[in-house]
Amino acid sequence: MCSGYPAFIIFVMNNIRNFCIIAHIDHGKSTLADRILELTGLIRKTSMDQMLDSMDLERERGITIKAKSVRIPYRAADGKEYILNLIDTPGHVDFSYEVSRSLEACEGAVLLVDATQGVEAQTIANANLALEAGLKIIPVINKIDLPNAMLDDCALQLYTMLGLGIEDILHVSAKDGRGVAELLEAVVERIPAPEGESSGPLKCLIFDSFFDPYRGVIPHLRVFSGRIAAGDKIMLKSSGRVFEIEEVGYFSLGLAQSEQLQAGEVGYAVALIRNAGEIHVGDTVVSADHSDVPAVPGFRLSQPMVYCGIYPIITSDYAKLGAALDKFKLNDSSVVFEKENSAALGYGYRIGFLGMLHMEIALERLRREYEQDIIATMPSVIYRVICLNGDVLMLDNPSKFPPEGQIDHIEEPVIRTRIIVPSDYVGPCMELSDAKRGVLVGIEHPDDKRAILIYDLPLAEMITDFYDRLKSVSRGYASMDYEMNGYRAGELVKVDILVNNGPVDALSYIAPRENAATRGRALIHKLSKTIPKHLFKIPLQAAIGSQIIAREDIFPMRKDVLAKCYGGDITRKRKLLEKQKEGKKKMKMVGFVEVPQEAFLSLMKIED
Amino acid sequence: MRGLYIHIPFCISKCSYCDFYSVYAKPELMDAYIDALLVETIRYSGMDFATLYIGGGTPSILGAERLEKLICGLRRIFDLADLREATIEVNPESAGIDLLAALYRLGVDRVSIGIQSLNEEELKKSGRAHNRRQALETVNAAFSVGFRNVSADIMIGLPGQTVQSLADTLNMLIGAGVNHISAYCLSVEEGTSFYRYPPPDLPGEDGQASLFEYAVGILQTRGFVHYEISNFASPGSECLHNLNYWRGGEYLGLGPAAASHVGGKRFRNAPGLERYLADPLSDREGEERLEGARKAGEEAMLRLRLIQEGLDMQEMAGKYGRNAIEGLEAKLNELVKRRSLARERDVFRLQPACVLTSNSVFIDVIG
Repeated sequence: MCSGYPAFIIFVMNNIRNFCIIAHIDHGKSTLADRILELTGLIRKTSMDQMLDSMDLERERGITIKAKSVRIPYRAADGKEYILNLIDTPGHVDFSYEVSRSLEACEGAVLLVDATQGVEAQTIANANLALEAGLKIIPVINKIDLPNAMLDDCALQLYTMLGLGIEDILHVSAKDGRGVAELLEAVVERIPAPEGESSGPLKCLIFDSFFDPYRGVIPHLRVFSGRIAAGDKIMLKSSGRVFEIEEVGYFSLGLAQSEQLQAGEVGYAVALIRNAGEIHVGDTVVSADHSDVPAVPGFRLSQPMVYCGIYPIITSDYAKLGAALDKFKLNDSSVVFEKENSAALGYGYRIGFLGMLHMEIALERLRREYEQDIIATMPSVIYRVICLNGDVLMLDNPSKFPPEGQIDHIEEPVIRTRIIVPSDYVGPCMELSDAKRGVLVGIEHPDDKRAILIYDLPLAEMITDFYDRLKSVSRGYASMDYEMNGYRAGELVKVDILVNNGPVDALSYIAPRENAATRGRALIHKLSKTIPKHLFKIPLQAAIGSQIIAREDIFPMRKDVLAKCYGGDITRKRKLLEKQKEGKKKMKMVGFVEVPQEAFLSLMKIED
Repeated sequence: MRGLYIHIPFCISKCSYCDFYSVYAKPELMDAYIDALLVETIRYSGMDFATLYIGGGTPSILGAERLEKLICGLRRIFDLADLREATIEVNPESAGIDLLAALYRLGVDRVSIGIQSLNEEELKKSGRAHNRRQALETVNAAFSVGFRNVSADIMIGLPGQTVQSLADTLNMLIGAGVNHISAYCLSVEEGTSFYRYPPPDLPGEDGQASLFEYAVGILQTRGFVHYEISNFASPGSECLHNLNYWRGGEYLGLGPAAASHVGGKRFRNAPGLERYLADPLSDREGEERLEGARKAGEEAMLRLRLIQEGLDMQEMAGKYGRNAIEGLEAKLNELVKRRSLARERDVFRLQPACVLTSNSVFIDVIG
């Protein structure tokens, strides 16, 4: 190694800033990132496009699903050249583990607050994650161009709710660019440069990855010590698997190959890793020669929280669906899936997701990008079923529950949720939380305008409609965040739905005993409106074990006829029948009953 | 055998349930229309037909003179030497005895009267332009001038209709001698007066089904054969022209929006009276030629409407070849298992109980 090298490295390290932007959803994170890229000349101001959100779905939902990062060359006011590594983070509670790993790769965080909304639940959650990770926080109030901006209120909230110094707060408008230059200076001045010895043994954190069809899984790395270059043999700490590095580089707007990555830097590595299951966010990469280097703490495998079944609408498409899922998993290693067989729906898959949003996005991507015609069943949490014989079963599918008589009791996962709500709406929010079987843990009053309600709430309630209802009872003002908080025993029962006297496994659900019948009636009623009339009478029943708790019948269809069919009608009538036929193809045969797809989701939309 | 259909798109008023295209019957418009029809015929000059059907609209509105001009023109241009049936649709308010006599002299031998009901209340609520007396007079007049085939259209599911009023209508018609009845279930279509202002006493689907089943019972007791989903006839009085549609036969339609099935192709004229008057020979549209299994499926859908005659697979095999009908036969056998169809040797027939729900059968049968 040449003698001038270490000095050069120190020089580089001092001029690197690794940071991320964290915010509540819609507080302007992506817009700010765009403005930074423009101001530093990395992109030209061309359009409204937000560079960091490339997936269509992300754009539509305004959510960044997968973290991405970009290396920005920046000449600061002090005349020196800096490298700013902006690491994008997902902005939703489903992805809080991913967020924490992205934060681990940084030394500082820009905490963005919408001047018209103030501090919200995910602002707090993300800020706490950043503080736990030991990051330097730069508080920033965004959208100061809006006439209803509440600069003082926001500043006070940042102080009282997060303990951030009012004098440290910057004001920006990501929309018109005001204050962004000052923010970049603050990033350079306030966020510490990374530390670490490039001459030491290799230690990198994987904080994200993506799949390239030609080069396999490409992990995103933050190097803490040592250096990594093509030809190196590396080892993944969690699995002990060894790979040879083919290429390393930085994130420019695309991938920019470089000779090496060294301590303090952020970049990617190509190592021909074919299976996305090999790469886990949070894992540590070390040199195969120095495999005893300790791992970056905090690694865990992402845990699915919500499961649902997916089935091809056309039974013979089962193999195609399997292939699509394999491909999908390469892109999103956090989904888990296994084969499942439903008496009602045939062969399909049980898929686990990090949360409801993750599920919705994944299903939509499967439908849109992977062109799969699928039915998704009611989402379920993982129940802990304690049997009379002492067995403890972890079950994510109500249809797999043992018979009622063998169950001692059922426990369900609980979340601890923090709901931030204006004082005027505390009443309705508490009523809702109580109705959803929440247990109040505490109330905080950060200022005289808002309260923070802390509840322990069954996750099952959360994944049905809690968030939508919360938004509606608070006129959109409440925001929430949650974390898992163990299991709690409940008076829970499994309810079976019988269509034409046969149980439809895909419609079984777990409910608290006291409102099992109400929900059963509501579901049965909804089904009676969803399933079309048939030529015979169809009884619909809800049952706990052998006890029927709700019943409704669909009476037989008596008239479905084209009364007139003469010369002028033949083509038109044939086309009419063809259209009817197409509609029928979209239904699932359950016994002799044609059940439309909506039926399998109708339970989700039922209010107690 | 080939049928000739002449469309007459004129009416004097719009019925509350009707969504058909029709135009108010102005004399000069009707004159021009006859001329236009005769221009269109030239395109098919010399073609031969076994049946003629003048339908609408309300053909009787044209009056004797125009109808004479039309029918004579048709005889001149087409080969009608072997005509076996000539039907005209008439409405009671515009079909007096003189008109009927003139039609009979012109060789028309079957008259189909748009009666709908003989209950005054039902007629009034439906916006019909006639009453019971006029309707029965028309029937009598038709017989008195020599017609032996008189059909009546009646409607099932009119506002306020009951099994009693329906029975009265049917019994009076049969008593008056009609030997053919078409009974249509009313359907409330968009754009109709019933759609905009649904009468409170309009029978629902189940009510209609009960009324229809009741009508079937009465007609069968009185010796009528339920030969097609909506058609009943005393034996031997079935409408030949319509039978040809349901047997997948060929026909030529003249007039705006009229449909044809000629040389294995289905096509139709452009819609709109004005356009037709301006150019009766304008391009035809929607040309479609179904092949093999799809054509067989279409024919099966039509033939199964013939409740007594049914669908003879021996005949289909002769027409389309064994291969083309293999899939069809499998589906038909499946429907037999579901008891929607009955099979007797090579003939499949709709089960009587499935007549009113026959769409579910036809959906499986088509292509």
